[in-house]
Amino acid sequence: MEIDTSPAQVKVIFTTTEPDLQLPESGQQLLVPGDIKRYGLSRILNSESMLNTSSPIPLDFLANGTFLRTSIEEYLSTNGLSSESTLTLQYVRSLIPPVYEASFEHDDWVGDVDVLSSTSPAGLGASVNDRIASASYDGLVRVWNPSGETVATSAAGRGGGHTLRLDAVKWLSPKQIASAGLDRKVVIWDYTESSDGFSGSLKPNMELWGHEKAINSLAVNGPAGRILTASSDGRIGLWSSSKKTAPQADPETLPSAHSSKKTKLSSAANTAQRGPLAMIAAHDEPVTAAVFHPNDNTVAYSASKDHTVKTIDLTTSREVSRLTTLHPILSAIALPGSLIAAGSSARHITLLDPRESAKSTVVMTLRGHVNMVSSLAPSPDNEYSLVSGSYDSTCRVWDLRSVHHGLEEGGGSVSEPVYTIGREWLKEKKLPAAGDGAKVLGVAWDATWGIVSGGEDKKVQINRGRGLFAS
Amino acid sequence: MAPPRLSKKRKDVAESDESDDGLAGTALEGVLSDDEDNDSGSESDPNSDDFNDPDDDDVGNDFDATSISSADDDESKPNYKVVKDANGNERYEYAEIDPVYDSDDSDANEKGNTIGNIPLSFYDSYPHIGYDINGKKIMRPATGDALDALLETIEIPKGWTGLTDPQTGKPLELTREQLELLRRLQTSQIPEENYDPYPDLIPYFTSIEEKMPLSSAPEPKRRFLPSKHEAKRVAKLVRAIKEGRILPYKPPEEREREKGEEEEVHYDIWANEEAQERHIMNIPAPKLAPPGYDLSYNPPPEYLPTQEEKEAWEKMDPEEREKEYLPAKFDALRKVPGYGEFVKERFERSLDLYLAPRVRKNRLNIDPNSLLPKLPSPEELKPFPTVCQAIFKGHEGRVRTVSFSPDGEWIASGGDDGTVRVWSLNGHQEWVARISTEEPVQVVRWRPNKDTFILAAVAGEDIFFAVPPLVSGALEKASRDVIDLGFGHATNGAVPTTADGAKKEPPAKWSRPGSKLEAAGVLLKATVRSAIKTLSWHRRGDFLCTVSPTGQRSSVAVHTLSKHLSQIPFRRLPGLAQAAHFHPSRPYFFVATQRMIRCYDLQRQELVKILQPGARWISGFDVHPGGDNLIVGSYDRRLLWHDLDLSTRPYKTMRFHTEAVRAVRYHRALPLFADASDDGSLQIFHGKVVSDLMENATIVPVKMLRGHKIVSKLGVLDVDWHPRHPWCISAGADGTCRLWA
Repeated sequence: MEIDTSPAQVKVIFTTTEPDLQLPESGQQLLVPGDIKRYGLSRILNSESMLNTSSPIPLDFLANGTFLRTSIEEYLSTNGLSSESTLTLQYVRSLIPPVYEASFEHDDWVGDVDVLSSTSPAGLGASVNDRIASASYDGLVRVWNPSGETVATSAAGRGGGHTLRLDAVKWLSPKQIASAGLDRKVVIWDYTESSDGFSGSLKPNMELWGHEKAINSLAVNGPAGRILTASSDGRIGLWSSSKKTAPQADPETLPSAHSSKKTKLSSAANTAQRGPLAMIAAHDEPVTAAVFHPNDNTVAYSASKDHTVKTIDLTTSREVSRLTTLHPILSAIALPGSLIAAGSSARHITLLDPRESAKSTVVMTLRGHVNMVSSLAPSPDNEYSLVSGSYDSTCRVWDLRSVHHGLEEGGGSVSEPVYTIGREWLKEKKLPAAGDGAKVLGVAWDATWGIVSGGEDKKVQINRGRGLFAS
Repeated sequence: MAPPRLSKKRKDVAESDESDDGLAGTALEGVLSDDEDNDSGSESDPNSDDFNDPDDDDVGNDFDATSISSADDDESKPNYKVVKDANGNERYEYAEIDPVYDSDDSDANEKGNTIGNIPLSFYDSYPHIGYDINGKKIMRPATGDALDALLETIEIPKGWTGLTDPQTGKPLELTREQLELLRRLQTSQIPEENYDPYPDLIPYFTSIEEKMPLSSAPEPKRRFLPSKHEAKRVAKLVRAIKEGRILPYKPPEEREREKGEEEEVHYDIWANEEAQERHIMNIPAPKLAPPGYDLSYNPPPEYLPTQEEKEAWEKMDPEEREKEYLPAKFDALRKVPGYGEFVKERFERSLDLYLAPRVRKNRLNIDPNSLLPKLPSPEELKPFPTVCQAIFKGHEGRVRTVSFSPDGEWIASGGDDGTVRVWSLNGHQEWVARISTEEPVQVVRWRPNKDTFILAAVAGEDIFFAVPPLVSGALEKASRDVIDLGFGHATNGAVPTTADGAKKEPPAKWSRPGSKLEAAGVLLKATVRSAIKTLSWHRRGDFLCTVSPTGQRSSVAVHTLSKHLSQIPFRRLPGLAQAAHFHPSRPYFFVATQRMIRCYDLQRQELVKILQPGARWISGFDVHPGGDNLIVGSYDRRLLWHDLDLSTRPYKTMRFHTEAVRAVRYHRALPLFADASDDGSLQIFHGKVVSDLMENATIVPVKMLRGHKIVSKLGVLDVDWHPRHPWCISAGADGTCRLWA
């Protein structure tokens, strides 16, 4: 009998969840050499007998939920599995780095960005032009088309716009934009666009007054016509996006109640002023983020610098539960998988489980940023990835599946970024100290647009966002 | 009991007798054996001896008596006769003693010359040649004339020798036998003729036992018995030795040694030394080293120092010298001079002997690290600022001061460019106002109330109160109201006058700063007499104190914002005032001069305490929010922690900086404090104060924050803490502020 010196053959079953990459029944079980790695497996699957793709699709392989980074043999030995056992490999499209695509120049720092496309929440299902709305520190909301041209710019303070810097902007619908900032009001803009798509206009529809301090973030639920605001005065505002349903503003909160003649004159009186549906005093310290539950628009999550994330029932305006972390939280999003990602000032992102039944509140800690995490955006494609923007001038893309168990504070497992997107003009350079001059202040991720981020460098930077992850 | 005792006693006696006998029999038997033989010889019959003893005595006595009587008979006839001497006195002339025949006085009948051992030639000029025993002159024998001589030559007498006897002066005559004897002596022969020095051996006694002895009598019994008489004598001697009457015999060498010891006295200086156990802990006093070759008066030449060695030795400090002497050579011992250092050397030796502790010290074997107080590691003391999170760029020139707003949302800064700027925490400048064109902005401090938004800034002699237009209308209105409240008071307030009625200049003038600044949000200005260096708010926000070190009498001023009133609480301060703060909870007021910090009670108007940090020049201080502790920074690079309850001296002194400490600041909520130094660094400390009086504050340095550049020897000029979070902001001379988190 001939002695086989080559590595042992391992029986592998290939599975996938992607319908367009299904293997024929015959190819799902295979004997592969034990020393084969990701690239070899990908070659095998792309071969004629298997997928028979016209152009090779780079594939990644998940073994038992984690990416296969070593050879199959090593994987088996590290996991204590016999080489005779059958290994089930789930293959997914391999990730392509988020390549830089474009930058849109602004006059001042860009505080927030939001995208409109047929895949974005605001324009979902409708045939809309791809647009980006950016909120700049000069108080202007700008709408951009994909070629980097400003389609529309909001009015300045005298014209009913914002007088101070803007910290948040969101598309309510393809026709409406909400923006808010340091001047304590939310402005609902009516966005109209000429038929050629090269010019448009932003007209203030109404102003929402009620907060006493700066509004840090906005969350919108377009179908329900609800807006959530998080303000530095420790309150969460629930607003209606419709002029009709919105209640009248409390005159005490209007600027005209206190301001001198001059400011009275300067403020545009022709814009409707409305008040909040509810003003929920949930925190003692600035609320940095308030988001809707992804599926239930009567539940909101609020994150604050007082270290807590609270679940709030919007119908009763009551706090339902609270999660306490160790650090001030600067940003938060609700992931589709009922998790909350909270970006802290302690340079990491904490994944919190707000459910009552959860065993531990802190599910995972994402480490890698070297400065405060200022903004977060979930992946449009899947439930397990997100992008974060930080004051350290980078955006980082995280995959919650690639984890290792950490023993650091808060418990849970620890993950590291999959991709780090630097500012394009700082390419190949070292990260600036303290993110000086290049802090990322806002980030959005859309299937059409990709990863859109804006920051201190007065630029909105767009990076390719598709295919970063295989499902 | 008695009878056995008696018997025992008797037995003892008997035993002692026996022992005596035994002793005599053994020790003296051999010694007296000869005598025994003689005895046996003389005493032929022991029985008769015993019986005749008394008779013998009698016979002896009789004989003595007769001899004495015969002597009496001789004395009856005196052997002298009394004659008259020349003076008529009696003179006894004794008869010539006639020696008896057996007298051994061989010289008696010879009339010898008595002149003694002097040469006869002394008598050459005298007719006599000496004196006989009776003092009569011995006349020189007549020397015959030549004829007589001739005659005598013809008739040579028998035994003539031709010599003269020097004793008598007569011709010496010797017989033939005498001459023969002389000849024999001269030729070393045996003087006696016919003497055979080697006669034939006649064996009188032989070792051969005769078969037939001369006597067949058996050996007498006494030959085998020890002598009773000797035993008695021996017992007598033994008794005498026991009683000490006879001292035992000492061998001659021992006697000689004793004699020698008596003559020469030696003292053993170590005799009194206590015998110590041979133990590792005992250290005997060191004995002097025996002298070496180099101590000799005539040492071998290799021990003599060369010229260079001598010079080197003399140059050396006496304490450093290896030897206290230099070897020297002398021709003779008598040329050796006296040793000058003798007394000193003995003194030092004595000192060493009785002063030096000869005890091995039990060195405590303690790990020095275990003696250090248990400080928690910095990791456990998180959170505290560790990295720079934002850089605030915009100021031209140095940033001299920073301050966090009471809600923690805003940072105000002031610098050499005369501007006050307000920033948000992400580094964006939100508001700027140029309050001075020449003077740098020395201090900016927010009013510590959340219901207003008032920033006080100092440039030169002016205090500006500003409401940056960043807040809601209600808040801004409240702030403006607080600022404007005092305008009524200023007009109503009585103008203080001096004794002579002249208007006294008020300590400060309160006014509007001008329309341009008012439009920017700067609403009020107070001008004092001299340039202000520090400013501090009272916790309620109505009072603020300013310190202008150059202002002599009016160096410390307390301003009331609600009345637009300024007061000067101190007429005189010892030294230049440097900083002042209000107590966070009690009506106390702290004023730092260059070297001291004085604590005044504002209600009672009295001095409560004087703290002496021991620094040469205090740069600033801060009061702990609890009110019982104080940190002081000084230009001589020190940071001092004072516990007001403990002492007037600092509880802890920390030197972590290489340059002056410019500012110190407590965190208002967390157990943290920081200092800013000219070496471009900030030192963050964990300083936990517990309410327990028995426990002192725990102070742990946790982090050194570096990042500011040093510009013209100035580094970090000010530091402030976020009101709640562990974030601090620093103002650098490099024109930037940095937020650390």
